[in-house]
Amino acid sequence: MSNLYREELLEHYHDPLNYGVIENAEVDIDRDNPTCGDTIHLTARLDEDDRIAEMKFEGQGCVVSMAAASLLTAEVVGKSPEEIAALGLHDIEELLGGMRLSMGRVKCALLALTALQQGLEEAGR
Amino acid sequence: MTWSGNEVRQQFPILQQKVNGKRLIYLDSAASAQKPQVVIDALSSVYSTNYANIHRGIYRLAEETTRQYEAARAKIAKFINAASTDEVIFVRNATEGLNLVVYSWGRSNVGAGDRIIVTELEHHSNLVPWQWLAQEQDAELAFIPITDAGELDLAALPPLLADGHAKVLALSMMSNVLGTIPDLAEIIHLAHAAGVVVVLDGAQAVPHLPVDVQALDADFMAFSGHKLGGPGIGALWGRRELLEAMPPFLFGGDMILSVRKDRSTWSELPYKFEAGTPAIAEAIAFGAAIDFLTELGMENVRQHERRLVTYALAELSAVPGLHLLGPAPEKHGGAVSFWLEGIHPHDVAAILDEEGICVRAGQHCAAPLHRRFGIPASTRASYYVYNFNEDTDALVVGLHKVIKLLRR
Repeated sequence: MSNLYREELLEHYHDPLNYGVIENAEVDIDRDNPTCGDTIHLTARLDEDDRIAEMKFEGQGCVVSMAAASLLTAEVVGKSPEEIAALGLHDIEELLGGMRLSMGRVKCALLALTALQQGLEEAGR
Repeated sequence: MTWSGNEVRQQFPILQQKVNGKRLIYLDSAASAQKPQVVIDALSSVYSTNYANIHRGIYRLAEETTRQYEAARAKIAKFINAASTDEVIFVRNATEGLNLVVYSWGRSNVGAGDRIIVTELEHHSNLVPWQWLAQEQDAELAFIPITDAGELDLAALPPLLADGHAKVLALSMMSNVLGTIPDLAEIIHLAHAAGVVVVLDGAQAVPHLPVDVQALDADFMAFSGHKLGGPGIGALWGRRELLEAMPPFLFGGDMILSVRKDRSTWSELPYKFEAGTPAIAEAIAFGAAIDFLTELGMENVRQHERRLVTYALAELSAVPGLHLLGPAPEKHGGAVSFWLEGIHPHDVAAILDEEGICVRAGQHCAAPLHRRFGIPASTRASYYVYNFNEDTDALVVGLHKVIKLLRR
């Protein structure tokens, strides 16, 4: 079995970190991936320096999109909007354990990150 | 050729390979079919012995290529029982065929306040071009809904035809997701009685069912060569009087009769709709794929797939938490879609891939259909001439592995 479905990622899929909604958060965005039907509702609270204080998500999706979102909620705490904007596929692949994702899964892996980046932009950060 | 002893399967070289040490099990023919050796040979033969541009050269090589290209058109015309070979136009794929109808016939015949009727089970290819036409012409786009069983709700059709505003009905002859085979005879009869032109999306039906456009009394039918074992090419059939009255879709070489600086006149059918150098070798190999299916016999193809789908529906329905979409086997073509409780189709497809099983996961270019059933996406196993029940057995074993890994 490929390392996509190894135990550690399955843990994040079945029991994700920071699953839920932050009320009245500065960042509050819904995104979906129309080709596969994945959806995410992402909220994030910023600290006084505009760095991410807390991020939560709710959604439906495959192991890759949900595990990537779960891992991202921990990874982004303390990061500035500029640092978030600089993150890309490679960083998500590293978070997922250093794998190379096939073309078909890239959009799944990036769902949460692109939602966060767009949410920060929409919040004017 | 018969189905005994894998004789058909042996004709497809790609299926002889192993994936992760396992037999390649191809269950994605609704997306594109694998190619028999005769098609691969036909492509290779064109390029190694007989290639030149068509309809132009005076030399023998060009004449022979033209002859083979036109012979392929004649095979296709006979395969769908077109009244004339001139009614068959080579296009890139079914999508381009449908776009040709929308751009050329649609823009000349559908105006403000007219109604375009489609169905809820259409592939985006037979929905989005009509959406665009409706917006462009300020026409109305109406839908025939589908029932929970995945069949067209035909009670909705007569009211859409009654007020005389309907101009065109565009529908699939077989759903690429649900496998639904609508009752076309009844639908076309109703549409024609109301003076409505019928455009058929034959992408799924033509590879899998005997199709006779004259018996159906259809007006247009688009289909793809690559879904019936040919290369990346398609064809549009249209009724002669309609095609003759239509303006060209694309302009350029080979479609003109005379060109002056300020005006031109168009070639006769079918060349009026074939601007520029076409996919010559692909067209000839499309003909070889038609020969292959003709030898199998399309009624035999249908019966083979009906047996496969009957078996698949029974076996899959026994998988815990698996929900099948679509109608009963007698109205169900080669596409079998389902969803597993609590498991995303992408994960299903990725884990099956480890077992050498190719299935499609997602919305299969039919987003409104998935919304209708309230599911984000589905997994689709689609069958063709080279599949057998062992493929379903392997699929079921694979699905149990998926469940073991992902369901808690």
